Amino acid sequence: MKDKKYITCDITVIGAGFAGMVAAARASALGLKTVQTGNSSHLYFASGLFDFLGVYPLHSRTVLQDPLTGLSLLQKEMPGHPYSKTSLEAILKSFDFLTRFLQSAGLNYIKPEKGNRSVLTSAGTFKPTCMIPETISKSRLLKNDTNLLLVDFKGLKGFCARQIADILKKNYPNILTLSVEVPGKNGDLNPTHLATLFEDSSFLKELATQISPFLDKVELMGIPAVCGVNKSLEALTRLEKMTGLDIFEIPMMPPSIPGLRLKNAFEKKLAKNKVHFLSQAKIKPPRFNGSEFVLDVMNQNMETQIRSRGGILATGRFPGGGLHAQRGRIQETVFNLPVYQPDERSLWHHLDFFEKQGHLINTAGVETDSVFRPVDTHGAIIYENLYAIGTILAHNDWVRLKSGSGVSALSAFTAVNDFYKKSTTGH
Amino acid sequence: MNFKNQHPVKTPFLVATGDDIVETDVLIIGGGVTGTGIARDLTLRGLNVILIEKSDLNAGASGGNHGLLHSGARYVCSDPEAAVECSTESEILKKNVGHCIEETGGLFVAVKGDKENYIADFPDMCKKYGIPSEKIDPKEAREMEPSLSDETIAVYKVNDASINPFKLSIENINDAVSRGACYLSHTRIEAFKIENKAIVYARVRNQISGKTHKIKAKTYVNATGAWAGSIAAMAGIHINMVFSKGSLLVTSKRITKRAINRLRKPTDGDILVPGGVVSILGTTSVRIKSPDNIYPTVKEVDYIISEGEKMIPELKTCRYIRAYAGVRPLVSMGKDNDRDVSRGFTLLDHEKDQVNNLITITGGKLSTYRLMAEKTSDIVCKKHQVSVECRTKMIPLPSTHSGEWSEPGVLVNDPFKPDTLEDPFLCECEMVPASAINTVIDSIKKNGGKPDLSSIALRTRIGKGPCQGAFCSMRILSHLYARGEIMDQTGINDLKYFLNERWKGEQSLLWGQALVQSSLKEMIHCGLFGLELVKK
Repeated sequence: MKDKKYITCDITVIGAGFAGMVAAARASALGLKTVQTGNSSHLYFASGLFDFLGVYPLHSRTVLQDPLTGLSLLQKEMPGHPYSKTSLEAILKSFDFLTRFLQSAGLNYIKPEKGNRSVLTSAGTFKPTCMIPETISKSRLLKNDTNLLLVDFKGLKGFCARQIADILKKNYPNILTLSVEVPGKNGDLNPTHLATLFEDSSFLKELATQISPFLDKVELMGIPAVCGVNKSLEALTRLEKMTGLDIFEIPMMPPSIPGLRLKNAFEKKLAKNKVHFLSQAKIKPPRFNGSEFVLDVMNQNMETQIRSRGGILATGRFPGGGLHAQRGRIQETVFNLPVYQPDERSLWHHLDFFEKQGHLINTAGVETDSVFRPVDTHGAIIYENLYAIGTILAHNDWVRLKSGSGVSALSAFTAVNDFYKKSTTGH
Repeated sequence: MNFKNQHPVKTPFLVATGDDIVETDVLIIGGGVTGTGIARDLTLRGLNVILIEKSDLNAGASGGNHGLLHSGARYVCSDPEAAVECSTESEILKKNVGHCIEETGGLFVAVKGDKENYIADFPDMCKKYGIPSEKIDPKEAREMEPSLSDETIAVYKVNDASINPFKLSIENINDAVSRGACYLSHTRIEAFKIENKAIVYARVRNQISGKTHKIKAKTYVNATGAWAGSIAAMAGIHINMVFSKGSLLVTSKRITKRAINRLRKPTDGDILVPGGVVSILGTTSVRIKSPDNIYPTVKEVDYIISEGEKMIPELKTCRYIRAYAGVRPLVSMGKDNDRDVSRGFTLLDHEKDQVNNLITITGGKLSTYRLMAEKTSDIVCKKHQVSVECRTKMIPLPSTHSGEWSEPGVLVNDPFKPDTLEDPFLCECEMVPASAINTVIDSIKKNGGKPDLSSIALRTRIGKGPCQGAFCSMRILSHLYARGEIMDQTGINDLKYFLNERWKGEQSLLWGQALVQSSLKEMIHCGLFGLELVKK
């Protein structure tokens, strides 16, 4: 056994998904000495689109043109929802912070001037969302009479240009399709590899040549969201210059390249901000020594003890491992915090997968006070300096409400701000 | 594949318009193991047949069972007649449909607390009815099957086996089609026209196109299992059907080499049958009012596990990937407990009910499907004055390629098939490559069906692995569009239907890792694609 290493810092973030990343970003931007543990590869499952509030009430099954109309109703009807703990101003501020942070890491997001925006997906459906990577944003140019070219790549599973065109053709009759063979490629074609090829100018030239017969027939082009990894906007712009077309990316099923871009952008900027990141670490049950938060972690056979003044729990739900379901009960895995949940398993899921109200299990989670500190069933704060943020929060069926990124950004931002305020004013 | 049409007269039916009448010798209603078995039997005796099925192959009890080929030992105390039938039939099937069977062997296992007198009587009863059984020392049994409980007190070895009912029906109908039979999926009976104590024709409707046709046959065979009563009712005949629902669970890996039965009076949660790379645990027996829209409940799932874990403790903690339910079609004899109603079959010549050319075959078991087909075909042949003997006892069922992909893990252990650009794995959990999907698509189209996610899933392992269709559904849908098999917006509904069918089998056992997978599925299909918002 090697020697144990000790780190002292201001705040410890447990979790490296979207919410954990925003928390580390905010903490480091405020100058807090920050340590983060977790597995950032879960961001491969992030679409890269930032939702605010897409559907409310759920039974309407209707997309909100403007999230604000749904928000005021939600705040009235769902007092336990994370959005009901705070003001619209705080939500908008957290989004502003997030976009500025990512921009400084070289990843541009566009906010629509008003309301939600619909983004074309690889299923041929439109997803309501709020903030969009710039490489996807030109999907707004798609009108019913647009002459659109959709391109797919042979061997890229689950993305078929003809599928999108066939599904859309009733309302968008002028869609042409092209299936491109990736030159010199044998074996499985995975999205990450294809995305890397987009940063190679000879690949882009070859691609532009294959597109050239369509140039006088179309004005807009859609491609799978694999246009480059770290230089996506540059790659897209170069292809636009070569073809003279406006181009947008179409998000597809995981592994998600826009999610990978987020991961890389966060990691790059957080490293610059001197966030100490312990990757893929196994954590032991943490404890509070008075106001000191102590966490022992193991990674690469090295044991590290982190001592800080506060903890942020951003471990996600079932896929992230923050919640674990046994045959009868749902547990929070790090602190064994109380979990709001349905009374029995037969209530967890509805018989219809697409049930409009969603499944009750997706409202389970950790309940908190207004600054996202976990509370017990009586509403009492459990630890003075422990915060829970992101999808682990109760009363937020984020998949159905289309509220995932918004709640994550808001809770991360609010929690870190509160901790910062307390630590600077000495409360 | 070889779809020789020796009597290529029936296929124009598919393009027939409104009033066209198609003629055949025999119209078989119901595409389960019995119906497809009858189709093969009759074509082997030289008759022309059309088989119609309201959804697709094995949609009822034929697709909702253990896949256990009974040695007969299970019924030896409760229903000796059925036990003997099972014993004889399973030996015939092992000889003639061996490619659908894995000769796993079976064990009957008693644990501490099980009834001593049942254990004591069992070997004598087996002996009395000629069912081979051999006493095994519990310690030796636990070496043969290490997952058996350490509270095992008595073990007998029997000749149980596992049989793939999907492959069986696919191969039976393929063989019948090769002799000129016509299989029409998604075709439902709407009415019988009856005159002078006989059915003149049946009016049928294609569920997909909505078109109706008339089929005129000399004889009509009602092989609709749990729906036999409602078909007979269309001819004005009452059959007193009892519906007994049985739920089953599929584990994510194979737990035992052999089929394991509890050595006690047949009841719930007492059989574990290996099926390729998985094991199937069941069942329950719950009286229900209607055979439609059945699914396993959380309560049943928990009960089956709590019973199963007494024989095999690992069943308490292992991962389950799916649950499903089937309906046993039983004809009531006035008994209270459905397990006391004979599992033997019911064969009714409705001549006695004043409909001379209608025959109903229902009840029975997967293990005796061939015998049921034989006895039914005997009556048909008698009516047609055909004196050819049944040949399915002698002639092995040919193996075609299209049934192969329904077998669990058919490629999982093949290290030679790589994931390539030319032939990628569209289902990575079960390693089903595009080439296999294409074979299945071609075979569906040759039989006049429509290739979609559900019809492909019926004939392959897609969607049956740990991801339960989260990834392969979209990949195969894209593949269908790329091939031009779908050319409009209906693929979205197809996808939603497929995911929902998978879901019915998942929703009762979502905890642990299975819940992680289902959460990811919802993230992709609702979170990103917003399928819950797509209105029909």
